[in-house]
Amino acid sequence: MGTVHARSLEPLPANGPDFGALGEEAEFVEVEPEAKQEILENKDVVVQHVHFDGLGRTKDDIIICEIGDVFKAKNLIEVMRKSHEAREKLLRLGIFRQVDVLIDTCQGDDALPNGLDVTFEVTELRRLTGSYNTMVGNNEGSMVLGLKLPNLLGRAEKVTFQFSYGTKETSYGLSFFKPQPGNFERNFSVNLYKVTGQFPWSSLRETDRGVSAEYSFPIWKTSHTVKWEGVWRELGCLSRTASFAVRKESGHSLKSSLSHAMVIDSRNSSILPRRGALLKVNQELAGYTGGDVSFIKEDFELQLNKQLVFDSVFSTSLWGGVLVPIGDKPSSIADRFYLGGPTSVRGFSMHSVGPQSEGDYLGGEAYWAGGLHLYTPLPFRPGQGGFGELFRTHFFLNAGNLCNLNYGEGPKAHIRKLAECIRWSYGAGIVLRLGNIARLELNYCVPMGVQKGDRDEFQMWFLLEGRSVLCT
Amino acid sequence: MSLVAEAFVSQIAAAEPWPENATLYQQLKGEQILLSDNAASLAVQAFLQMCNLPIKVVCRANAEYMSPSGKVPFIHVGNQVVSELGPIVQFVKAKGHSLSDGLDEVQKAEMKAYMELVNNMLLTAELYLQWCDEATVGEITHARYGSPYPWPLNHILAYQKQWEVKRKMKAIGWGNKTLDQVLEDVDQCCQALSQRLGTQPYFFNKQSDGDPDRNKTGRQILTPERPAPPRVSQAISLQMPHTPWSAACGTDEVLAIRK
Repeated sequence: MGTVHARSLEPLPANGPDFGALGEEAEFVEVEPEAKQEILENKDVVVQHVHFDGLGRTKDDIIICEIGDVFKAKNLIEVMRKSHEAREKLLRLGIFRQVDVLIDTCQGDDALPNGLDVTFEVTELRRLTGSYNTMVGNNEGSMVLGLKLPNLLGRAEKVTFQFSYGTKETSYGLSFFKPQPGNFERNFSVNLYKVTGQFPWSSLRETDRGVSAEYSFPIWKTSHTVKWEGVWRELGCLSRTASFAVRKESGHSLKSSLSHAMVIDSRNSSILPRRGALLKVNQELAGYTGGDVSFIKEDFELQLNKQLVFDSVFSTSLWGGVLVPIGDKPSSIADRFYLGGPTSVRGFSMHSVGPQSEGDYLGGEAYWAGGLHLYTPLPFRPGQGGFGELFRTHFFLNAGNLCNLNYGEGPKAHIRKLAECIRWSYGAGIVLRLGNIARLELNYCVPMGVQKGDRDEFQMWFLLEGRSVLCT
Repeated sequence: MSLVAEAFVSQIAAAEPWPENATLYQQLKGEQILLSDNAASLAVQAFLQMCNLPIKVVCRANAEYMSPSGKVPFIHVGNQVVSELGPIVQFVKAKGHSLSDGLDEVQKAEMKAYMELVNNMLLTAELYLQWCDEATVGEITHARYGSPYPWPLNHILAYQKQWEVKRKMKAIGWGNKTLDQVLEDVDQCCQALSQRLGTQPYFFNKQSDGDPDRNKTGRQILTPERPAPPRVSQAISLQMPHTPWSAACGTDEVLAIRK
């Protein structure tokens, strides 16, 4: 029998492999085409050996867990499918640069007549990979150095380090990741980081130095993450003209919190999905494991997508969250929610909705935001089948509200407060999909329901996945 | 303060009269505030009192970080925030209140010189004793500075501040001074101030801008209600049992220290 190479995702031809394409191996074939089909689907095979070529520091037990299913295949189609699945699992571990699968008949003294040998030819990633970038933006230049040590101890542990040295701020992050052998979705990671952020809408500068430990595990179709985080936060005013309400929040605080997040994602893509739904629910409890900040925080995100006629997609989304401080200390500006901007309510400046003092936005303890979107192909479909497929026309309606809650009033009063003075906007634009990581939007937006103190903008926006560049 | 900032502040300040709700911010009195900060705060309070301007004192644990210059105390007047005695004096002058109007140029220059002496000598000595003398640091400063914060933040912030102050001391040449040298400098400073004061109640015949600063620093070092570094109080009391300056600050307090 000829050798079969399984390198890629191409589906098998319905009537057996095309022996003509195998080139020089075709001359070894002696059976008739009808018999070929019989070999593939009807003949029972037994996988006798699975070989691995190219293992270096990777330990055996983690490999054995990933390829266990290959031995259970009963016929050749199953062997090819299970080998393909095993190859995907091995690539997902993040320790191999390349994995090739060879399926061959068994040779040797103990070979059965229907025995098969499956060989995985792997190339391990190098022990240390580095990257160096320079970034310029926001009146600051910085040098970013990244180091990655994949498969550190042989069981798919990974250590990554990133260091950014800028003219104004330095930040770094070190993270250690370890999956459970045989169960990649169960994994554990520890992070150490320092990040600085500047928030001009609140005239606030925040430096966070923290350590976190998290454990992820799947339950049925959902993915859960349980995390403990300890952060030393330093808040400061961004300028001398910051409002006194923001100045009062300056200083140091320590947050030690436990959080749990659940994600169910059945969308086909995270950028411009055509179908599926997303539900994220996150809760955080701070204060009972140390620190001087005490609160309980809940937030959720829901997105539904449905494909319609004429290649259009209708999408709805809803976010919301509430923050309840525990004890008599008021909530900190670093924990509150913000609303506004191209990722939540378009037409309003970034995070510039809700309670404010002298032009600085202070955030709120409860919010909700929603959107209705309709994505259609470009009118007259220019570039159909090629470049034009990356563009979509986008019609949207966004709404949302953000406020502080007086917890003595009761839930009915809160709901009433969140339902009055709703900010909303509508508009249309063009979306460009950039690979699987970002989208570029150019929108014309009309903000409505603008309340006193909000900053709205009747302008065109470029949105690049959370970082927006204002145009005109 | 730079010239531009000064001009800006005086423009804005001159526009409005002194409001009723002016507030002064400092650290927590009982558990947190240190000697040098307390002295500075008392100086500002005394000055405003001498000018007959009402001020309310608010204690907040993060006062040092709220301040635009990083130093306490600072005052919040209208929507202006001004920190440290020097700029506050300027600010109040721009609003039309000043204690130094009666002085001529020579006296003003002399006053400035004495204020610089107090700042450079006594204030630096206070900082040295608080942050560079291991006994004081261990017993008093660390515990007080970090008291409003949870573990481990209390230790981290105290060590961070100590490192900053030690770096500053090294920069001005005090890094290698021993405690005795510092006390000797303090002694000389006190002698100079005593000579200037003579037997008068005030340094310049009537109240001037410099008086609150010197009075309060002096009173600060001698007041038993604040846990003053023991060695300083010993040094002061040894040197000045009968000098006029001690009379100005109140002999009762001196006697209280000299056990």
